[in-house]
Amino acid sequence: MMAVGQAHNRNSFLDNLAKNLGRERRHHVEKPNWTHQPQWEVLKGASQDDLVEVLKKQCKLIHTDIHETVSSELSTLITHLIKEYGAKTVVTWDDPRFEEFGLNDLDEELSNEQVTVHTWDREGAEENLAFSATADIGITFSDATLAESGTVVLYSDKGKGRAVSLLPAVYLAIIPKSTIVPRMTQVATEIHRKVEKGDMVPSCVNFISGPSNSADIEMNLIVGVHGPVKATYIIVDDK
Amino acid sequence: MKVSLFVTCLIDIFQTDVGLDTVELLEKLGCEVDFPEKQTCCGQPAYNSGYVDKAKESMKHMIKVFEHSDYVVTPSGSCGTMFREYPHIFKGDPEWEERAKKLADKTYELTQFIVDVLGVEDVGAKLNGTATYHTSCHMTRLLGVTEAPMKLLSNVEGLEMKPLPHNYNCCGFGGTFSVKMTSISEQMVDEKVQSVEDSGAHILIGADCGCLMNIGGRIDRKEKPIKVMHIASVLNSRS
Amino acid sequence: MAMKIGDKPFKERVSDGIDDKFMRGAVSSAQGRFRSGRLNAAEELGNWEDWRKLGEEIRSHTIENLDYYLELLSENVTKRGGHVFFAETAEEANDYITNVVKQKNGKKVVKSKSMVTEEINMNEALEKAGCEVIESDLGEWILQVDDHDPPSHIVTPALHKNKEQIRDVFRDKLGYDKTEKPEELALFAREKLREEFLQADIGITGCNFAIAESGTISLVTNEGNARMVTTIPKTQITVMGMERIVPTWEEMEVLVSLLTRAAVGQKLTSYITALTGPKQEGEVDGPEEFHLVVVDNGRSKILGTAFQSILHCIRCAACINVCPVYRHVGGHSYGSIYPGPVGAVLSPLLGGYEEYKELPYASTLCAACTEACPVKIPLHEHLLRHRQEIVEKEGKAPVFENLSMKAFSMGTASPAMYNIGSKLAPTALGAFAKDDKISDGPGPLKNWTEIRDFPAPKKDRFRDLYKKRKKERGE
Repeated sequence: MMAVGQAHNRNSFLDNLAKNLGRERRHHVEKPNWTHQPQWEVLKGASQDDLVEVLKKQCKLIHTDIHETVSSELSTLITHLIKEYGAKTVVTWDDPRFEEFGLNDLDEELSNEQVTVHTWDREGAEENLAFSATADIGITFSDATLAESGTVVLYSDKGKGRAVSLLPAVYLAIIPKSTIVPRMTQVATEIHRKVEKGDMVPSCVNFISGPSNSADIEMNLIVGVHGPVKATYIIVDDK
Repeated sequence: MKVSLFVTCLIDIFQTDVGLDTVELLEKLGCEVDFPEKQTCCGQPAYNSGYVDKAKESMKHMIKVFEHSDYVVTPSGSCGTMFREYPHIFKGDPEWEERAKKLADKTYELTQFIVDVLGVEDVGAKLNGTATYHTSCHMTRLLGVTEAPMKLLSNVEGLEMKPLPHNYNCCGFGGTFSVKMTSISEQMVDEKVQSVEDSGAHILIGADCGCLMNIGGRIDRKEKPIKVMHIASVLNSRS
Repeated sequence: MAMKIGDKPFKERVSDGIDDKFMRGAVSSAQGRFRSGRLNAAEELGNWEDWRKLGEEIRSHTIENLDYYLELLSENVTKRGGHVFFAETAEEANDYITNVVKQKNGKKVVKSKSMVTEEINMNEALEKAGCEVIESDLGEWILQVDDHDPPSHIVTPALHKNKEQIRDVFRDKLGYDKTEKPEELALFAREKLREEFLQADIGITGCNFAIAESGTISLVTNEGNARMVTTIPKTQITVMGMERIVPTWEEMEVLVSLLTRAAVGQKLTSYITALTGPKQEGEVDGPEEFHLVVVDNGRSKILGTAFQSILHCIRCAACINVCPVYRHVGGHSYGSIYPGPVGAVLSPLLGGYEEYKELPYASTLCAACTEACPVKIPLHEHLLRHRQEIVEKEGKAPVFENLSMKAFSMGTASPAMYNIGSKLAPTALGAFAKDDKISDGPGPLKNWTEIRDFPAPKKDRFRDLYKKRKKERGE
């Protein structure tokens, strides 16, 4: 049972707003049906293969490498990429999909290459952070993927730490093809429906589109500021 | 077609030729032009300075002056915009809102009237030279007239139109802004003069006397070899 | 730093800005990039106007029902174990935040970018309480390192600085010894700030959109600093201006799409992070404690007035990026952390006319701002409305202007008076004219002729010529 927080100073604050709005406080408001809803027109009717193409094209714009493979080749591709990046330390989520996609032997395969793999430990907070902070690569699955913006969506959970996609120098996201939707609209609507049903929203939902970057110095695009310097996506056919 | 000319105070006092060119042009296009003599000013200088109550007096006067006109045509995008704003300004006024709306609905900027109402895109004008066109802010953004002047100018025999770089930039006139914020206005008009020079044109055409007085005044002061012409005069040229 | 920046009077600030050639070059080229980015993003969607209308409708509905949505938000935050504090004033907000930090025995606070914390001068309050406060947005950090140079833009706060200046700041203050290459400067910041993140005990963020239905706050960033701030420290405090809220995830999505496109032309920024309460039981990273501070600080006075729609603003800076006045005078000229058109509307409302009465006049009313606004705020109309308030309600207009407007009204409301006035023009100005031009005009014309020529009034007005012409043609 979760502890309930406190709200301070609420009534006087909200009463004042209502007063300035020239009415009594409102305790029930029906959200209207918006007159214009152009968000549903984007990539309307696109097939899953169309969406893959859109995603690949967008990745070029956001400085993100993208690969396509099938389940049976996934492990080989990841091993190959890790070697290519010269990585020595890898952190991954503790997520059943690693096993589903045949990645259960990944750490064994990699240890032959002198690469240490740390799977997110559901108990040790400091250790996870410390490892991730200096890790070369962080690997997660994508929980939902937005074709339009080249975005992977991650839902935090017990084995799914926030730091894996944030602290390592390279972020590698595995995108099961079935998770690809046209744009943020579809994911936001799904979460909205869950909220309406009374489901819990994950404590952290991250929409990640490529590596971290900044344009704060003379509007020059610098790739890699606080988060990963490089992002790589792998689309895996999961049919 | 009967047309009432709203000549604007700047043309009445300073740019009389533009007024005459407008009359001749409309007559050539088969219009019967009348000039309601009691007209004064649209009220914009006071309105834009915050003197709304005082501006309303001139607005009411103008509403009365043009009450019996079929069409009101003006060689100024900005003053035409002001007429179109009247219903907004008199909103909720039981006596004036409706009358303001009637005036707004029948008011047209000159090129808008020629293209949209008369359905003419070639007025048979001839003018030798290389020109560029200043898209004035109120006419473009508020009145929404963008294509009519370009269509008409493209059909002027002998006239080569050059694109004006950064044509979306304001020239820095802004009515009282030009004298209240002289130093900022100076930077803006200099930028505009530079753009005109960069266009390679020898004639600057515009549809608003305020902008043209501002840009032209700076061009004269800097002794640039660029001629400034109102679009009415260009369209009325036959040589 | 509070909302007000600098002590110089408006005219001096403007003249400093105009003289700062580097700043103007930087702003001008940035505006060019912002502009094409925004237009391309809009064009790609094809139906940008529909998007804007949707944005306007959402913002308008939400602000109209702000009390309801804030109540819902706070209910949902507390349900998830977070705490909410409603602060009517900056002091109340700072007191609460300082207390939380003290209770946690916090020594090092890392912040992600937040305009409202600048507005309430939170850093100073925390520093007084003995905390070290570190800005982690690259632009904000540069300014902080440079002895708290004020921001000049709400999205890219260090826009007025060039890379050589930044290199020098890093060198002088932090012993940086590499070049002015942006990549090297950023790498240096990454390394410095990474240490800070790992040691910080408190993380403070702003909020782009709070989602009422689930008690979620969302953060829109490119650098990943907001993620750092909400992943590592044990306590998270989020400070939001009270209007920064949407009803549900569906509206958050739409407004984020509008924000990222209007701000920088991106389909989405690198990170959109949506956080609900503290971390869940069993989760390893994320804050153990979450506090949301909802700030009024003068905003509620705007509700119910003709200016209400300025609270629809989603802080994308599109209006700033198209403003020609901003381009020439730079952000610091506005004397407020909120520059450009939105600042010229908002600063007088939050900070008063005494301090900011010039800002509404620093505009040609060219309406580029209104055209660019992704939620259709009629910014130039608000500027006009300010002028009206200043003149008609506050009576703060200069006497001379008042008199001339009286004369204008008399002259234009009555054709007889207009006739006399316009007829007199050539006589009155004739003495100053030479070759049909006036180069050194009297009275109010003086300012005009300081920089440009003015046409001499014609001997005959158009109306006289028209009459003559009519007569000649026997009409």
